[in-house]
Amino acid sequence: MASLAIGLVLTWRTSGVVNFAHAAMGMYVAFAYFEFRDQGNLVLPIIGTPERIHLLDTPTLATALAFALVLSVALGLAVHTLVFRPLRRAPTVARVVASLGLYLYLQEITRLRFTQAGAASVTRFPVLPTHDVDLLGTSVTANRAILAVAVVALTVVLTVVFHTTRFGLATRAAAGNEKGALLTGISPDRVGALNWALASVLSGFAVILIEPIAGLDAGTTSLLVVPALAAALIGGLSSFAVTVAAGLGIGMVQSLILGYASRPDTRWIPDWLPVVGLQQAVPVVLVLLALVWRGDPLPTRSAIAERRLPASPTPRHVAAWAVALGGAGTAGFLLFEADLRQALIVSLIAALLSLSIVVLTGYVGQISLAQLAFAGVAGFTVIDVASRGWPFPVAAAFAVAVATGVGVLVGLPGRRVRGMVLAVATLAMAVAIESLVLANPSLSGGEAGRSAPRPSLFGLDVGITARGADNFRPAFGLMVLATVIVACVVVANLRRNRTGLRWLAVRANERAAAAAGIDVGRTKLGAFALSSALAGTAGVFLAYANSTLSTSSFLVIGALVALALTYLAGISSITGALVAGALAQAGLLTTVLDRSTDGQAGRYAYAVSGLALVVTAIVAPEGITGAARRLGGRVDRAVRRVGARGSRPGPARPLAVDPTPASPDGAA
Amino acid sequence: MTGAATSTPAPVLDVRGLGVRYGGVQALDDLSFTVAPGEVVGLIGPNGAGKTTCIDALTGFTTPSGGRIRFAGRSLDGVPPHERARRGFVRTFQSLELFDDLTVRENLLVAAAPPTWRSTLTDALRLKPRADAAVDEALDLVGLASMAERHPIELPNGQRHLVALARALVPGPALVLLDEPAAGLDPTETATLGHLLRRLPARGTSVLLVDHDMGLVMGACDRVLVLDFGRLVASGPPAQVRNDPAVVAAYLGGAGEPSGARP
Repeated sequence: MASLAIGLVLTWRTSGVVNFAHAAMGMYVAFAYFEFRDQGNLVLPIIGTPERIHLLDTPTLATALAFALVLSVALGLAVHTLVFRPLRRAPTVARVVASLGLYLYLQEITRLRFTQAGAASVTRFPVLPTHDVDLLGTSVTANRAILAVAVVALTVVLTVVFHTTRFGLATRAAAGNEKGALLTGISPDRVGALNWALASVLSGFAVILIEPIAGLDAGTTSLLVVPALAAALIGGLSSFAVTVAAGLGIGMVQSLILGYASRPDTRWIPDWLPVVGLQQAVPVVLVLLALVWRGDPLPTRSAIAERRLPASPTPRHVAAWAVALGGAGTAGFLLFEADLRQALIVSLIAALLSLSIVVLTGYVGQISLAQLAFAGVAGFTVIDVASRGWPFPVAAAFAVAVATGVGVLVGLPGRRVRGMVLAVATLAMAVAIESLVLANPSLSGGEAGRSAPRPSLFGLDVGITARGADNFRPAFGLMVLATVIVACVVVANLRRNRTGLRWLAVRANERAAAAAGIDVGRTKLGAFALSSALAGTAGVFLAYANSTLSTSSFLVIGALVALALTYLAGISSITGALVAGALAQAGLLTTVLDRSTDGQAGRYAYAVSGLALVVTAIVAPEGITGAARRLGGRVDRAVRRVGARGSRPGPARPLAVDPTPASPDGAA
Repeated sequence: MTGAATSTPAPVLDVRGLGVRYGGVQALDDLSFTVAPGEVVGLIGPNGAGKTTCIDALTGFTTPSGGRIRFAGRSLDGVPPHERARRGFVRTFQSLELFDDLTVRENLLVAAAPPTWRSTLTDALRLKPRADAAVDEALDLVGLASMAERHPIELPNGQRHLVALARALVPGPALVLLDEPAAGLDPTETATLGHLLRRLPARGTSVLLVDHDMGLVMGACDRVLVLDFGRLVASGPPAQVRNDPAVVAAYLGGAGEPSGARP
């Protein structure tokens, strides 16, 4: 854990990236190591390459360790050169999205190539001895003791290296001022590459070494990044010593909780509080304390060097759009067969979730990874109160209100922190909500999940299920469609009026916004409220759309996918939210693709979307709709130029309307 | 010109003993001055004299280490920046800090009266964006009404400065603090700006002007304050300050060398 946290500090100091994929990188290296140790195979993490290459017949511990070293260095270098180096000057959201994309990709490719491919059991050759040793009067297994000592030693070495050698100086210089470093003869590139390689090695070996203690799983191991982030944040993302101390501390507190809560004589912890959840919530509390301690209500003078988010176009022709969407959707529900009706419902609900991300991240610039948690809270709340006999509209409104309340709570740290750090805070809280609330059997019904009673609206049956071909009833679909349209119109109108202008002002420059009389903290909280209300609405519909709702619908990874898809489609426009809905898993696009490829498309969906995310963040930071709009704008301008040539004199000619380098095909 | 500051009973801005400390550096030391209603006051000083620090401290972007600031008779202790703006004490930025995503009109609308619960609700359901009279008036004042639907990046530098000024004037502030509004302007544009500033007192807006451009400051201000190394070294009418040996020394870097005292 502490060693993972050090790697995070390294990459942050080098690239200004909080690498959410940090633990996932280590997770892949660990899987690859155990496969090699066992079978002598190299498993490549690249789609389209042969899955396994046989290298050695009798791998030994030494060759396997060397293998892991080379592999993790290669992975670190590849990630640096291919992903984060091109994104050095990209907006924070682009870097967050890229690291989330990497996270998704590594997790899915590992699932596909190891777990599902039946990889060998990994615990056959533990690296460290497991017998008990006596340490300060208590008995500890040797591997734990060795790990702790090794991590502390590593910290000392790193601290010394960073403060006394030229390499350390170069890293600090390059992170502080890249151009300046370049002028003094330091190559920020090479320094960055070295640090990434080092971070990757640390992560890989950390995961390999803690495997006997923490286990190895594509999903849960990747999420180890959360407590590691907590430790790194406490260390201010710069101090190795504090980070390691915090990491060790968090680890100890977690095992203490586990040990204490599982003792039979522990009575003060109520039964409904899941012990595992409690254990996972500790880092969250620590993250929040660290954030509030270090935060600042407004960024300082020098802190605003960051590039903007994609441009946000003012919504136009709102009424026409609403009518068109309504018409198309209604036609769809009346004409489609059941499976396409289902896909349309899924897409509409996903669009609602994406709209919540557009408001919060696209318009106000606040990255939240807790959107799906809001949806989950609303979903289980509505089931809970509806099964107590509350009528559907009342139960739904109540659930949305609860989700809004939770959203405002999650948004509170946003008053003091921003950018990457806020993303981490919301991720931490999403994990807390997942482990304490959503995975709580008394609320979510455990493995079996829970079902909502059939909804009716003013005496009208708006339930989703029916027998046979009538399933996924149009009545339910039309209700969702109407809600999506109302939500889009409300968001469009707010965006065009003073509320939305203030959102964009806060997004562009918090200092200037405050100078213009905007209460930045309140504006952010308002956006969190609206956004979580939208996400909550999506959660309510999910509860009624699924015959049973279980925690697995709201895992943190889903929130990452939602943010990713929204970014991919265009995070700063309502159209983007609708396109994101169409792209969603089991939505319109994948259903059509699945139909035409006999289910092959679904297998790689997550891995491909992870990859697409990284690529989009690098090549088209405005997303699909942004790119389309730019193309349309160019055609539009060309037409206008031809039509109104010379009619507009004066000195105020547009100097740089198009921030991207114009390509020659623009003047058609 | 507009009546002596001393005879006015209640100053708009009253600063007493203001100090700002960054680590071991005393960036601003024991600064005291007032701005009377209808007055245009200049604040000048060489680079590093503490002008920007002074602006940040007055507008709440930096926490002072000592002293007190009263605005329109009320203390500004602990009042956050946005609240100072709402009370009628608005600043601009040297770097303009226009919102490039928004049109000129929208840039101004941001500074208009804040939305209330009711206006937010009605906005959410209207199909046409709301207009605002104060915005049109400010656009007319700076002569940018025809540019209202452009984006700031489409405008030449001089007009961008006017947009920033207009945004500060939209809420009808009692005092506007201009941070180097003439930076990067050519002489003609600077002269236009000077004329514009002289018209603000008649609209009920006092001006605290911080700038390098001696022509602008000397021409437009009733009174000039001179900062050097965080301290006030001179204050008075432009003609008097221009010939003050301390000012000359501060600007020419001499140790009181009289050779620089050319009129």
